[in-house]
Amino acid sequence: MSTAMNFGSKSFKPRPPDKGSFPLDHFGECKTFKETFMRCLRENSFDNSKCRLQSKDYLECRMDHQLMAREPLQKLGFKDLMDPPPSQEESTP
Amino acid sequence: MLPLLLRPPFSPPLTGCIRALHCSSQWIIHSRAEHFLRRQLTSRLPMRRHSRKSRSQEEEWRTRNKTVLTYIAAAGVGMIGLSYAAVPLYRLYCQATGLGGTAVAGHDTDQVETMKPVKERVIKVTFNADTHASIQWNFRPQQTEIYVVPGETALAFYRAKNPTDKPIIGISTYNVVPFDAGQYFNKIQCFCFEEQRLNPHEEVDMPVFFYIDPEFDDDPRMARVDTITLSYTFFEAKEGQQLPLPGYSYN
Repeated sequence: MSTAMNFGSKSFKPRPPDKGSFPLDHFGECKTFKETFMRCLRENSFDNSKCRLQSKDYLECRMDHQLMAREPLQKLGFKDLMDPPPSQEESTP
Repeated sequence: MLPLLLRPPFSPPLTGCIRALHCSSQWIIHSRAEHFLRRQLTSRLPMRRHSRKSRSQEEEWRTRNKTVLTYIAAAGVGMIGLSYAAVPLYRLYCQATGLGGTAVAGHDTDQVETMKPVKERVIKVTFNADTHASIQWNFRPQQTEIYVVPGETALAFYRAKNPTDKPIIGISTYNVVPFDAGQYFNKIQCFCFEEQRLNPHEEVDMPVFFYIDPEFDDDPRMARVDTITLSYTFFEAKEGQQLPLPGYSYN
């Protein structure tokens, strides 16, 4: 990774994730959502823009099963997928 | 006897001349002596003035030397202080300009809410999964690539399976190639840097939720970058071991 001893060359500095780590889904509670998402990806030649609804569903599943801290979806970048009016916000943790 | 003998041949005017000459010579000698004495006196006076001048000049030089020395000493102390201050100043400069691949200070989580996707710039993100030789997990990505645009959040999955009969705790780190693009690659949530425990014969899906900073499109150095590779590596974690989080300094 960045083990080369050459000073002056740029090295990669990993950064911790913004919201921390996902707890592991040991019981496969959101496996169906994941499968839907993967199927959508495969059908759309792995274009992420077309499968954003499915990724939103997967994250909502995670939040429902306590596998992710509950956050308003706008904060996760799904503002354009929210139903109008955008003033409707879910409760923050 | 001689002058008596010499006298009769000399006439009286001659004697007078001789006397006059004698007198004048005596007078000349006297005046010369006086003059010499005067010169001696006068020559001593300018010497006194000269020594006074040299003393004041010396004092002047001394004060001038003192001020110059104080200036030099102040400059030396200033240089030492500057070298100490350079460390935090350079860190601030690096954060502000993002040179050397350091994290840009302006990156904050509120950006996710307000950023606009740059639809014209499609970037292919390829995924790579590695394991350290000692960990016996089967770790692989569930998609080889995904096409994203900067400013849009994306989800990707990895899968890990523990084929052994003992629970294994793994901990992972990641890498983004090219390095320069790494500063624009922001992970909202993933599974890295924390211990993940897999029970025997368990298989889990590990998601990575990330986005590429919309400023990626504005950076001239990234103009030719079309592919970013995200690579995760899993290591085996020992019980109770705490890996330091990168980017944070521990005392």
